[in-house]
Parts: sequence; C-alpha cells; structure tokens
Amino acid sequence: MTSLPLDPKVDLSKVTTLAATLKSHAGADLVIDASEVTQVGALCLQTLAAAAQSWRASGHSLTISPRSEAFDESLLVFGLDLDDLQSTEAA
Amino acid sequence: MSDPMAEIRASFFIECEELLESLQDALNDMDDGASDSETINVVFRAVHSIKGGAGAFGLDALVAFAHRYETVMDEVRSGKMAVSPEAIKLFFHAADLLSDHVRSARDQTPVPADSESCLQELEALMGIDHSAAAAEEEVSSDDFQPMGLALDLDFGDDDGGLPSLDDTIQDSVLVVSFTPKPELYASGNEPLHLIRALRALTEESKIETHFNALPPLEQLDPEASYITWSITLRGDVDESDIREVFDFVEDVCELEITSTEDDSGPFEVLAELISEPTLSDEAEVTAAIEPVSVNEPAARDEPVAAPTPPPSPPVAPSASGGGRQSSPSAEAGATVRVDLERIDRLVNLVGELVINQAMLAQSVSEAGLPPNSAVMTGLEAFMMLTRDIQDSVMMIRAQPVKPLFQRMGRIVREASAAVGKEVKLKVEGETTEVDKTVIERLADPLTHMIRNSVDHGLETPDKRLAAGKPEEGVITLSAQHRSGRVVIEIEDDGAGINRPKVLQKAIEKGLVPADASLSDGEIDNLLFLPGFSTADQVSALSGRGVGMDVVRSSIQSLGGRITIQSEPGKGTIFSISLPLTLAVLDGMVVNVAGETMVVPLSSILETTTLTQGDIRALGPNTNVIHVRGEFVPLYDLGAELGYRGTKSDYEGCIALLTAQENGTRSALIVDAIMEQRQVVIKGLQRSYGHIPGVAAATILGDGQIALILDPADLVQNATGHTRTADFALAG
Repeated sequence: MTSLPLDPKVDLSKVTTLAATLKSHAGADLVIDASEVTQVGALCLQTLAAAAQSWRASGHSLTISPRSEAFDESLLVFGLDLDDLQSTEAA
Repeated sequence: MSDPMAEIRASFFIECEELLESLQDALNDMDDGASDSETINVVFRAVHSIKGGAGAFGLDALVAFAHRYETVMDEVRSGKMAVSPEAIKLFFHAADLLSDHVRSARDQTPVPADSESCLQELEALMGIDHSAAAAEEEVSSDDFQPMGLALDLDFGDDDGGLPSLDDTIQDSVLVVSFTPKPELYASGNEPLHLIRALRALTEESKIETHFNALPPLEQLDPEASYITWSITLRGDVDESDIREVFDFVEDVCELEITSTEDDSGPFEVLAELISEPTLSDEAEVTAAIEPVSVNEPAARDEPVAAPTPPPSPPVAPSASGGGRQSSPSAEAGATVRVDLERIDRLVNLVGELVINQAMLAQSVSEAGLPPNSAVMTGLEAFMMLTRDIQDSVMMIRAQPVKPLFQRMGRIVREASAAVGKEVKLKVEGETTEVDKTVIERLADPLTHMIRNSVDHGLETPDKRLAAGKPEEGVITLSAQHRSGRVVIEIEDDGAGINRPKVLQKAIEKGLVPADASLSDGEIDNLLFLPGFSTADQVSALSGRGVGMDVVRSSIQSLGGRITIQSEPGKGTIFSISLPLTLAVLDGMVVNVAGETMVVPLSSILETTTLTQGDIRALGPNTNVIHVRGEFVPLYDLGAELGYRGTKSDYEGCIALLTAQENGTRSALIVDAIMEQRQVVIKGLQRSYGHIPGVAAATILGDGQIALILDPADLVQNATGHTRTADFALAG
C-alpha cells in the first residue's frame, strides 16, 4: 500500500500540490503519513475531507497513520473526528 | 528585588513611545497623501494598542482618550469617514495629546487640558453629537481587552483596575458562525489560529465543522473555501472579545455572532482535551495570540520555529493588541533593551581602557624596545582592538534623530497654529545617528530654533502671497554626517534676515556702536547676543529677547557650533554642527609653548611648515598665509592662549590648517606635532563653564592632562595678532 508523507504544514502555497498528489493516487488504497505534521490548516483539512469523500465513493481505504500530536491537536481544535478524513471502505 | 509590576509598567511606556513613533510616521504618510488601508491601520493599531495596555494598568484618562481617538480612526479605517487635510491636522493634534496623556500617565502629572475639545472636534468630523458620544462612551468603555498583559498580577485596589469590566460581563452563550473567504487564505491567515484563540476565550466551548457542498477531490478547487464553523462559547465572554479575535480578518470572512439561551449539550473544555502541548505546539499557541496579519503572508510559509519563549497558558487571545505587529519591537526580534546606566558604565570603562592603553604604549616606548619586537607588535594589535571596542560601544549609544525630529513636528504644528501661519515641516536624514546624550540635550535648543523659524523666519500668509510664494511656508529640518560631525540644519523659505533692522536694533540696544560697519555675517551673528530681539511685537512664542543666545550656549556646551546663512527673500538656514559623540575623539596632540594640547582631527584639513614666501602681512598686527591660492588668517596658539607673546618670525613654524562648517579657514601656529591619537573627552563645563577656545580636556598616556581645543571657537575669540604693534585693529 502506498504511503504518502504529508508536509509539516500545508497552506495556500502547497495545497494545490497536495490535491494534485492525492488525485494521482486516486483509485487505490492509500495511507497518509502525518507524522511530520506541525499544523493542519483549514485548506489542508478540506482537501483531506474531499479526498476521503472520493475514496469512500470509489470503495477504497484512506488512512492517516501515523499522526503527529500536532495533527491530532489541530483536529481537536477544529472539532473534527479522524473518521471525517478517512475512508474505511475496503477495496 | 525590583518590583515586577513597575518593570512591566516601564516596559509598557517604552512600548508606547514606539507606538507613538509609528503613529506619527503613519500620520505623516497620510499627510503626504497616503490613503491605503495599511497606513490607516497603523494609526488605528497604534492607538488601539496604547489603549489596551493602558487598560491593564488602570490608566483611565489615557484609556478614555485613546478609546475616543480610536473610534474615529475606526471610522476612517472602515471607509465611513473621508480624510480631509483638516481631519489630518486634527489627527496630528490628537496624536500629540495622546503622547501627552501617555507622559502624564507615566509621570503621574495632570492630564492635558484641551483633550476634550480636540476629541469633540474629532467626533464632529464623524457627525457625532457630543452628548451622544459621551453616553456611548459609558456603555462601550469595556469593549477592549488589555494587550498581551493578561498576567496574574495584583493591580492594587479594585478601582485601579479596568473600569467596569468585571461588572458588565456576565456568563452568556454566544454562537459564532465563521466562514472564511478565499481572500482570508490568500492574505496568509489561518482559521486554525483564530479558532484556537476563540476557543481559548472561555473554558467551555463546542465547535461544529460544516463542509458546504464540499465536492469530491476531482472537482475540488483547493484554494476555494468550503468550510463554515459554528462555535458555541459559554462563560465570561462578550461579543467584543470575539470581534477582537477576528479584528484583522473581518473583511475576508463572514462572521455572525448570535446570543442564545440554548446552552444545552456537552461543552468541551479544550484545554483538557488537548494533552500537554509539545514545544512546537506552544509556539503555535504563541502564533495564535499574535495578530494574524494580512501583511505577512510570507511568514506563514515557514514552520513555526521552536525557540519562541513558552507563553503562559492563560494568556487571553483577544489580548493580541492590534498594533503590536506594527511596533518595531515586534518586528525586530533581534533587539534587546538595555538600561542606559549599564551602557554608560561600559562607555566609561572603555574610556579608561583607552587611557590605560595610551599609558602602556608610553611605557613601552620609553623602554626603548625595537619597533618589530613582539611587545610592540602585540601592542599595536591591542590598540586596534581597543579602537574596535570603542567604536562598537559608541555605536550602542548612537540613536537616530528621528524621535527628536518627530517632536519638532509637533512644535511646528503648535507654533504655526499660535501665530496663524500655514507651515509644513519637511524632515530629511532622520535616520542619522548621534550619541544619545547629544540628542537629549539638543531638544531644547532645537525647539527654540523651530519656534523662531515659524515666528520670525516665515512671513505671514499675505506677505508670502505678495512675494509670489506659496501661502504655506516650509521649514526643512535635516541631519547628516559631515566630516566626522553631525550637522543639523533648520532651513526656512521665509524672508531672510532683515539685516538693516537687526543692525538698527543692535545699535538701539547699545550692543554695537552707532557707526559700526559690520559684514552680513557679523550682523547675522548679532542675533546670538544676549537680550537681542527684533520682533516688534512680543508673541507667545518668541520676541522676548531670550532664546538664541541660550541656544548658542547650549550648542556650545555640547561641543557644537551654530552658524547662520541667510538670503533676503529666500530664507535662512541655521546650521548646528555637533560632535558625533561626547565620549572620545580623534585628535592631533601638539605642543604649544611647552604645553601639550589636542586639536580635533576632524577640524584639521592639513598641516604645513611655513616658508617666508607663504607669510604675508595684513595690517599692523596680523598675518595671513598663502596656501593653495587662498589667503588664510594666521593665529598663533601660544599667543592667543596667553602662554607667550607673538613670535618675530614664523618661518619654519608648523601651521595646522583648520576649516569651520561655514567653509572659513584659519591657520593655527603650533610649536610641534607630537602624535595623532584617540583621546577620551573629559568635560570641563561642569567645573569651569565655557572656556573660549577650549572644548574639553583629556588624560594623556603619561597621566598629564591636556586641553582639547575648539579651533572654531578659538578663532572666533582670537585677536589674530601675529605681529607686534602699538595700535590694534579688530581681528
């Protein structure tokens, strides 16, 4: 399974690249490595949520693991559950 | 142990000075036609930050004034109020008064008297009926939070704290709906920080994230905004706290705040949900409490650096204080504030080091060691190092003249209003650095001179128009480094000095003989005589006959000189030439009649040995020398200082060719040049007052005291006698 490392901080300058990278992995199970993340910004958040939506629709799994403390903390601040950004669909 | 509260308070006032400086800068920009939102924001933020800080210390009068000023600037910022030249004048006046309020709060002196009238004029611009404004003031006096000072401090008795803050805030439930626009991201802002700051306002909050028609990834525009957050806050929080969090993004988001009775449902205590933050998290929290600025998008690219000092967790996020990002202290992370006393101690020690080094050099030279010996080489390296240390220490004391010049801006505004003239102050070279002591002691003389320029230098508007000049007079205040000194010029485009009138007044007052024939320069210099005034009418500003003589003695006490250039119909320039520092100077050590003295190197153009052909007699008592096609008056230092009489022949003597700021040259006869070296200035003013021709003293390597001469002053007071005769002409 492919593991895609997530940049420490995804902001406006990097979000288009992130979306394009994710698109290039569409149609297959994917693991996103968020261990280096220092902050999940809102743009990154909505891109991951959109990806989770697509992965669910295509019946593939999208998992975010491992995750840094900062990643989990950002989700808490936004009041989101990890499942909002993942797809548990099995291929 | 020092009182921490006093230290924080002192630090607040220092910050106020910086904020006032940026306020003046921004107002100047507005006056020059800048109307961009950032300039207006700087004004707003400066006032806002002062208000916030003042609130923390219970400085009610300052808070009240800043609040009303800020309200007006907020109208400007939101585009509801147009900025006319009259409005800018009022803004300046309010800024001056704000500065007075800050000082009055700092020094615990009475508050400025005309605050209310200025505020009422400002509010009239907004179309506010004053009685209504006062009523609003009552209600809204709590709509701010102190800037980053939410420390657990005892502010003394209850009355000393923030007025009515505790009384007006009650537990409430507020729902904030926040939808960022794409511009919010484009301007470098991050909702995460805002939400974190928002949720930190109260212990109990809950949040829902709504993805508005979030498309699947394939159709996603990654830079668009698809999220709305709904944050419910319960506790000691009111709407203004919330709005303050969004202060800098209000134009780039949709924000709705509603009050609700329905506070059912589980609230999260965010602090409890989040485990002990890591170091980088702490840095993020710090970032969140800093204003999320639209001006620094680039900064958002960088991962937040770890070495940010760990913040105290309960810092109120709304305390971010709008103006902090514009304050130099916030921008310049690499600066440190040092107690002036410590620097002075360092300067003194370096002075002693220089003297000690000179003594060491003297001992080594007396020991008769060969020039290339290890001791001599080491000593040379030591001397160079000493020089570097000295330069570095002097640089610490050097400060730009900008704050001083800004104060002069106010003097011009007040003085011009008092005499009914339109005056614009142009400032040049305000980044020129001068020793702090010099700057401090320059304020009073400069104030006198600026007032004089406004009152006497510039004509009345009708006279200006009649002379074909613009109604508005211009005073140019400039600073620049010139040949090792700093030259400050005050130039007006007025009528110039009315020399016949000056001469007539001087004759009337018996200052000069009735039949005196004076050159233009000499007439101009009459202005510096004690008790001289040409004003026919004594105004509130000048014309009382005190001023220019006091100005000159103040400048002289700084080791400086003042000169006048004036052209009828065109204007007058007062030039003040000052030493860069009052601590050391490069000097030429000379011998005159067996006495060792120092002549500042900056005033020496060249040295020459006189030949008979160089010397020409001029009149019965004086000689000039012919140097490079020019005749330069000759002064014998030994005779002028009273050590001996004049010589019968100056052939073979050494002359130091010196120049003054106005270009006048003179040749000073010395018996021998001993060396060139840096000397530590030891003032004589305090012990002996002003000694004509002597600037200060120094201690030489052999422990001897030597006088440091002031060639320009010496020449001014010299007889110029280099020949003996029975009668004398003026020198």
